[in-house]
Amino acid sequence: MSTLILEGLSKNYGEVEALIGVDLNVGDGEFIVLVGPSGCGKSTLLRCIAGLEKHSAGDIRIDDRSITGVQTRDRNVAMVFQSYALFPHLTVAENIAFGLRIRRTDKSVIEERVAHAAGLLGLGELTGRYPRELSGGQRQRVAMGRAIVRDPVLFLFDEPLSNLDAKLRVQMRTEMKALRQRLGITSIYVTHDQDEAMTLADRIVVMNNGRIEQIGTPMELYDAPVNLFVAGFMGSPPMNFIELHRKGGNSGAQLETASGQPVPLPERGLSPGVRSVVLGVRPEGLRIDDGGPLKGTVEVVEPKGSETQVFVRLDDLHLLCVTAGKRATFQPGDPVGIAFDATESHLFDTDSGQKITTEKGTAA
Amino acid sequence: MDDRYVILVGRWVVLTLGVFWSAFPIFMVVSSSFKTHLDIFAVPPKFIFQPTFDNYVLLFREWPQFLDGLVNSMIITVGATVLTAITSLLAGYAYSRFHSRLLTLSAFFMILVRMLPPIVVTIPLFPAVNAMGLSDTHAILILLYAAFFVSLATWILKTFIDQIPRELEEAAEVEGSSVWQRLVRVVLPLSVHGMVAACVFVVVFAWNEYVFALIFTSNEAKTAPLILAEISGAIEGVQWGILFAAASVQLLPILAFVLLVQKFIVTGITAGAVKG
Repeated sequence: MSTLILEGLSKNYGEVEALIGVDLNVGDGEFIVLVGPSGCGKSTLLRCIAGLEKHSAGDIRIDDRSITGVQTRDRNVAMVFQSYALFPHLTVAENIAFGLRIRRTDKSVIEERVAHAAGLLGLGELTGRYPRELSGGQRQRVAMGRAIVRDPVLFLFDEPLSNLDAKLRVQMRTEMKALRQRLGITSIYVTHDQDEAMTLADRIVVMNNGRIEQIGTPMELYDAPVNLFVAGFMGSPPMNFIELHRKGGNSGAQLETASGQPVPLPERGLSPGVRSVVLGVRPEGLRIDDGGPLKGTVEVVEPKGSETQVFVRLDDLHLLCVTAGKRATFQPGDPVGIAFDATESHLFDTDSGQKITTEKGTAA
Repeated sequence: MDDRYVILVGRWVVLTLGVFWSAFPIFMVVSSSFKTHLDIFAVPPKFIFQPTFDNYVLLFREWPQFLDGLVNSMIITVGATVLTAITSLLAGYAYSRFHSRLLTLSAFFMILVRMLPPIVVTIPLFPAVNAMGLSDTHAILILLYAAFFVSLATWILKTFIDQIPRELEEAAEVEGSSVWQRLVRVVLPLSVHGMVAACVFVVVFAWNEYVFALIFTSNEAKTAPLILAEISGAIEGVQWGILFAAASVQLLPILAFVLLVQKFIVTGITAGAVKG
């Protein structure tokens, strides 16, 4: 059980800044998920923690002891790779035992620990097989087994489920969550799949362009994104954004869409100079209501079983996703009105993308 | 006639001719080693005859030094092969995993030297070898033969190591292994095909090599091919039966070795040619 502290961690590849002043405190036994688009620096951050990349500035501390300059093999971290990185010439048991053999652990201890890990991961019957004889899910479990068998101080996962098909990924996600609750080892998990992040994480770190955009619990990030990037990244389908322009003077100002539809939002403390903002509302925050203030036309209807997603064309720039009931009977071309609950909406500064206010309004 | 049938027959004819062309001389040498002097020179050649082991008995009775030559050849071949394998694995690993201007330059130099006729770079070594007391030792031939093949073997192994995902080494590193442990436990087992393929070239060359063995050995480290030459040039006249027996003994180990590792040779030589 360990804590991890990153202080002002930066990594440059020549002129390219892959990580810029990353600060992060990970508590004992905490499961942190790093999410962000490709190239945002999340894998680089993980590799810096593992020691596979040398960071350019800042410090990494495990249990308050700096590991900057400590070789990878001496950091006692375990890592599960995207490709699983199983040794093809070794059997499942030999793969799991690899780290213990390197450390010259007693043979009886190795056998006992490998059997325990294999049992824990449902690999008991497969210990004599080679990786090429295993399915994707089984390989993933072997990689997990190799990580847990030697009792590391920190688990690092680099998109471990991304090579699995959708069904298996969901299954493995559940298994991984059960395993993590059982083992309780401090973990850093990288993924670009925000569903995975929401499901697994104690806290999520959203990264973009080498910086941390926001850190919080899954629901904090979902309910209170600090900027447009986080708001758009978390949630599937993503949050709807509507650009609004201020009409009239600073007092008694009214917000309306590009096509001139007025949007009755309560006073949110907009500073007088602000001429345009972005309204963000999640699909479940919108409802189709003929009396609603926004008018549009149904363009696409996607039944999902438990619900129906209705895509409504508001104007040339805006196609809104609305979550409707599971037996919604809308047809493409239907004219509809859209209402939303202002308490579920967010306003962002058009230029900076930062959230403008967290004050709660009333239903629109 | 069906075109496919013609192609099939044509393919078999060409293959049969190829095998005959390659194997017939070997067959003649080996079969002649079991013939009497009269049967060897019978016209037309005898393919059915009463086999005799007299030539082999005579070989080891009259030319006991041939056995010493075989032992020397074996030591030198194994030594050169092991040395080439070790140096090529290390060099191949360095060329595959590290990149710098100096490495590129050294690779170019290594290939450049290989382009020169070996005799040109070797003869000037003679005085130095003498001065170091290496003349007529196993060590000098081991060093020379390894030096000739280290560039080719390095290139074969580099190609193999290029195909080993870096993540495997990174996984091994995270698991606690040093660079040497990664080389021995991960890279070596996964490039064994390339290593065997590279070693075949060294084994065949070192086992058969004549010119450098003649220049650098005189008595103690004399190899089997030199003794073979002595048998064929004996002043009392060539004893063909003994010569064929000696040639068969010299030939068979290498033939067996090549047949044994032929699948490694194919994968070794074609590695990297087709993206898998």
